[in-house]
Amino acid sequence: MTDFEDQLRRALERKEPSADFAARVMARATQKKRPLAWVQWQSWAAAGIAASLCLGALGLEVEHRHTVELRQGQAARAQLIQAMEITSKKLHQIHKRVQGTL
Amino acid sequence: MIGSLAQEVGIPRAVAEADRSRAFEAAVREHQAMVFSVAYHFLQDHAVAEELAQEVFLELYRHWDELESREHRIHWLRKVASRRCIDQTRRRKLRNHVSLEEAPEPFTWMPATDPILKRYIEQLLGKLADTPRLVVIMRYQEGLEPAEIADILDMPVATVKSHLQRSLALLRRKLSFATREGES
Repeated sequence: MTDFEDQLRRALERKEPSADFAARVMARATQKKRPLAWVQWQSWAAAGIAASLCLGALGLEVEHRHTVELRQGQAARAQLIQAMEITSKKLHQIHKRVQGTL
Repeated sequence: MIGSLAQEVGIPRAVAEADRSRAFEAAVREHQAMVFSVAYHFLQDHAVAEELAQEVFLELYRHWDELESREHRIHWLRKVASRRCIDQTRRRKLRNHVSLEEAPEPFTWMPATDPILKRYIEQLLGKLADTPRLVVIMRYQEGLEPAEIADILDMPVATVKSHLQRSLALLRRKLSFATREGES
């Protein structure tokens, strides 16, 4: 080996990492992982809850729209009945007047 | 493998797991300097090199049962560390894009034993392209023969020799400039 190669070898001597390197590796390697089935169950449960909430919100919206339409329909019906009553009274008065003049 | 073996011979699984962890920790302590140094000499960044070395050992932990001997583990660690070093530079573009040919000459003479010279050699090495740099690290850090390097880096032996010759010529030229002035 030449002097140059010796210099290269010295420059590339192995170095130690930080003192707690092995401890950090061990901590990461042995940390408890949740079993896959548990993770999958959690995912399905979350999806189920999300779907239920969406369906619930949709149901409430439909119910709300139905109630509003019902109230509007009832109000229109009441207005129509009132208008017909007024018209009926007026017609009755006119009918009396016509009979009185005859 | 350990779990099934433990069940066959009646050893509780927890004991087998504890033995596995102890053996793994011993392997980490034995090989941490090798893996970290490959990463450090390649990336020239202490923190990134430690992170990469940790990832290599975590991968070793996952493949622990497949690696039957110490020699097999060493070979595997060198291979995985090399592959991850290449991936790291591709992903993060950590490399200095000044090539060794373009690197400036040192402006002062440095004695051959000076730590500054050692650092200068590291810097020159950092300017080599990825594959030649790994070849030089495997040759002069790990002391491997070209055939062993070829096996680890999955390339023909002739290519390894070619990378070595070319890299050494470049490094020698830059280094001789740094030391010649002091001699004259």
